[in-house]
Amino acid sequence: MTGLRVPPGQAGSARPDEAAAPGGPSGPAGSPSSFGLAGWARWGWRQLTSMRTALVLLFLLAVGSVPGSLLPQQGIDPAAVQQYYVSHPALAPWLARLSLFNVFAAPWFAAIYLLLFLSLAGCVVPRSIRLARSARTPPPPAPRNLARLPQSARHESTLEPAAALDAAAGVLRRRKFRLRTGDGWVSAEKGYRRELGNLVFHLALLALLCSVALGGLFGYKANRLLVSGTSFANTVTALDEFHPGRLVSSSDLQPFTMTLNRFAASYVTSGPSRGQPLSFNAYVSYSAQPGGAVRHDNLRVNHPINVDGVRVFIIGHGYAPVFRVTDGTGKVVFDQPVPFIAVNTSGLTSTGVVKVPDAHPDQLGFAGVFLPTAVDVNGQLESAFPAPLDPRVSLVSYKGNLGMDSGPPQSVYTLNTAGLTQLPVAPRPLAVGQSIKLPGGAGTLTFTGYRQWISLAITYDPGQLPALIAGLAALAGLLLSFFVRRRRVFVRAYPGPDGRTVVDVGGLARSDPAGGFDEEFTGLARALEKASRGSSTDTPSLTSTTEGKSH
Amino acid sequence: MSRPTRRTARPAGAGRGVAAAVLALTAVLGVAGCATGIAASTPASNGQSFVAGSPGTTVFKSGTGPVAPSVSGPVVGGGRLALTAYRGHVVVLNFWGSWCTPCREEAPDLSALATHFKASGVRFLGIDIRDSPASAEAFMNDFRITYPSLNDPSDNLALDFRNTVPPAGIPTTLVISRSGRISARVIGGATYNGLKSLIQRAAAEPA
Amino acid sequence: MPDNQGLSHLSDHFLIVAVVLYSLAVIAFAADFAFGRRCPVVTRAKAEVPDLVPAGVAAGGVEDGAAESGTAHDAAGPDASGVGPASTRPGSTRPDSTGPGSTGPGSTGPGSKGPGSTAVARLGGQGRQPAVPVSRLVGIALTLTTAGLALHIAGVITRGLAVHRVPWGDMYEFVISVSCVAVLFFIGLMIKYRPYHLGLFFMAPIVIIMGLAQTVIYTPAGPLVPALNSYWLAIHVTAMTLASGTFMVGAVLAVVYLFAERHTRRVAAGLSTRYGEVFRLLPSAERLDQIAYRTVVFAFPIWTFGIMAGAIWADQAWGRYWGWDPTETWAFITWVVYACFLHARVTAGWRGRRAAYIQLVGFGCLLFNLLGVSLFITGLHSYAGLS
Repeated sequence: MTGLRVPPGQAGSARPDEAAAPGGPSGPAGSPSSFGLAGWARWGWRQLTSMRTALVLLFLLAVGSVPGSLLPQQGIDPAAVQQYYVSHPALAPWLARLSLFNVFAAPWFAAIYLLLFLSLAGCVVPRSIRLARSARTPPPPAPRNLARLPQSARHESTLEPAAALDAAAGVLRRRKFRLRTGDGWVSAEKGYRRELGNLVFHLALLALLCSVALGGLFGYKANRLLVSGTSFANTVTALDEFHPGRLVSSSDLQPFTMTLNRFAASYVTSGPSRGQPLSFNAYVSYSAQPGGAVRHDNLRVNHPINVDGVRVFIIGHGYAPVFRVTDGTGKVVFDQPVPFIAVNTSGLTSTGVVKVPDAHPDQLGFAGVFLPTAVDVNGQLESAFPAPLDPRVSLVSYKGNLGMDSGPPQSVYTLNTAGLTQLPVAPRPLAVGQSIKLPGGAGTLTFTGYRQWISLAITYDPGQLPALIAGLAALAGLLLSFFVRRRRVFVRAYPGPDGRTVVDVGGLARSDPAGGFDEEFTGLARALEKASRGSSTDTPSLTSTTEGKSH
Repeated sequence: MSRPTRRTARPAGAGRGVAAAVLALTAVLGVAGCATGIAASTPASNGQSFVAGSPGTTVFKSGTGPVAPSVSGPVVGGGRLALTAYRGHVVVLNFWGSWCTPCREEAPDLSALATHFKASGVRFLGIDIRDSPASAEAFMNDFRITYPSLNDPSDNLALDFRNTVPPAGIPTTLVISRSGRISARVIGGATYNGLKSLIQRAAAEPA
Repeated sequence: MPDNQGLSHLSDHFLIVAVVLYSLAVIAFAADFAFGRRCPVVTRAKAEVPDLVPAGVAAGGVEDGAAESGTAHDAAGPDASGVGPASTRPGSTRPDSTGPGSTGPGSTGPGSKGPGSTAVARLGGQGRQPAVPVSRLVGIALTLTTAGLALHIAGVITRGLAVHRVPWGDMYEFVISVSCVAVLFFIGLMIKYRPYHLGLFFMAPIVIIMGLAQTVIYTPAGPLVPALNSYWLAIHVTAMTLASGTFMVGAVLAVVYLFAERHTRRVAAGLSTRYGEVFRLLPSAERLDQIAYRTVVFAFPIWTFGIMAGAIWADQAWGRYWGWDPTETWAFITWVVYACFLHARVTAGWRGRRAAYIQLVGFGCLLFNLLGVSLFITGLHSYAGLS
């Protein structure tokens, strides 16, 4: 798409020794080793902004992305990263040192795209300025021997040479060529938009990088799991995960509130795709400020809700069985839904834990599965269908020290059994309303019901619209640079041997990626020939030659 | 025949390759250095189901802290309470949850400090996040917390603070002086001595 | 609306018959190489069709078989490769270098030789190829291919009707559609450039791919999961399908180019080569390179648009337009490699073989994106439909 880049010091310079200089030190010409700091800087800058360097950096960016797609990434799936440590204990720390578990936030990755940014900017911006300046330059004079051009044709005319040239110029002008005339020749050029498209494309890439940076600085992403019947507000204490941009503080969050009134999922009930989800509908109410107007909407996949410039997406769902736990003293110490996480998609069998740290005399913990449609398959409990047609819960009971009173924060989805002893309870899956009575008077757990939860992604990205515009501009520039061809056509007219005027037409396409200049030249030569036919009744004779490829 | 002396485009010989490598390395490292700041921004998900916030204490000069909003809500165990009821007292406002390990870790210190400062008129108020009333009561019984807590299952109270000093994670403790201005904020678990000195500092501020 | 299982089965039947027809076409193409007889008159035309540009109105007058001249490059195909090295130097395909020269019988008209011109063309069609030596077997093969394509399209359409949406919602449907686009593009190439004898190299991979699709990755017609239930499916995946099919065509051309270029080099160096007759029938290496380049030029903006549409859709569905999901990452890598190819193509020293290698690396990344990432790496794009 772009031609070879000529170092600025060498373009248009007449003296060979100056042509070789990088615009280096302005001191006296010395030996090659006297290369001052300014000279180094200039040489370095030129290397950085050369097209080859930009391509190498672009390629490095692609190569650097490969481990980010093959290895588990901390930001996407931290559990998988932990798993990798377990399965590759020797290799994992080394990979972590190279930031390979967080490639896209790694310093070396950022270095590559920052350098690419610099290189691109340093190359494209001067070229744009040059294009703007040269936008009005006329085409070059016609070469002497048009037959040497990749496309050429010749015809004869009864008009005088000047008149033939005028006719040719008229044809070319009608076809929107830019013309330049001289003694016995006409030179025409067209397709300047190609370079414009090329530069627009590269500038748009720069703008895209800037938009991404804008979003990275001022935008944020957050996650929140919301059980039906509950609500939350967009504040840091209420979020499960919060990934702010560099310049975002917790007071910048838009203060909307949202309630999940009801969640309904539908599944395929028969056929080979039985159990596959068909639709998810989350009926929510929300308001942009506390005390503001309340709106109701159906939050679905691919249909996010936009509140106060922030968008809320539904990205997952699951079941939250409700438990009531009475401890050894008879007090109710726990009574709320507990989100369980699905471990298979066909039946939505879900696992979770219940932690009751304030039970007396001992802390209690439970871990187990929730089965929306429990069936017994060869003694194993499985869920046959993802909808809650026959929900059961099967739990293992523990008592002891949950480890929650000190130390690092625990995951709410795993039970640390190091300080716990398992209680001998007869294994029996519970239906709604049924209870486990723990031995030794430790307490009772009742499965009182179930609800559903949705997980929300909350995102705010001020760079999103600029990125879209930049992307569209890049595409437009790309199409222009591919399908507009920069071509030149030359016409020479001179008296021929038999008294007629010979008209030579030559053409060359400076860049023609998509091809097609051949046909265009054919048509053009034919039109020129027709225009210079004048009133002659002779059968025109037309010859043409070509050399090699017109590419 | 000697080579003509001329300014060359680049240094000659092996120096060129070394120079290029050094330049490239310097550029990459230099950019990487500032890139680290740009790139490293996000805490990873860890299944904790809450944002812990980066621990730290922020102290406001006397009279310059933002005014605490007037929050009110239902009390765990019944009734309603508003922060304005404590106007004229030093208030320690603590955001907690029974499921949050750092909150459980600091709870004994808070309880002890509440008892210690009760006579001097310092009021403690808790705001309980994402807990059912049963769990909240069980927690308060367990740690013998005598001061009341507001139940905030919908995060409205946390939102009320968004324009002042927003609680930036759990646990967060705000020390409010007698004038109603926020005097200090502690993100993360509070220590007995640390919080004690913050309370004494706030108590020394004029009303 | 429930899916129509009957239509789904009909679609399967159409596609199976299409594969059978393609297989027969492959056999016919191969047989042509082995046994095909060429028309003798064409040998003369080979020698005298100059590489010329049609440039204007043809004078009335003598037309002959050879005068159905086309663009320069076409003549360089079957003609010049018969005379070896001269045909592949750019700019060297001047007719007077082709031996018997341009004054073969029946090829000239009045005013054939002007000063400075070296040959004459009676002007015929616009950019069409000169008549290439074709045997009946090639005709049969092309007919089979076209018939197979018709059934292929019918299979794709009925699958779409069966599931009430565009038929590229899981990997099986995607592969079937991509191969349909590739065959369509191939037929288009046949019409425009007439490299009939490339048929074997195009259709053989298509047969293999479709066979694998029907057996290994087949999924029954089913509704879309909610995440895919959006009008963006029609936009994003359609663009990716088009671009992938076109890139596939380009990759086949690149492979054939590499072999042809190697053959030409060996001939130029005077070394012995095998399959010389095969290469004589194919377009020249230069020509293959050029068509492959144009294929990429056509597909690259579509791929760019597909990535953008995917980003917009991702923003609509997941809240972020770029999250370095493995499929997104590999689509980006593919884009970068093809961008390097395009730059290499205009950089001296990187045309020809090196550029072709880069193109094949790009297609390899595309294949890895389609197969490796979808099957082996879990990401947000795991819609292969396979359990």
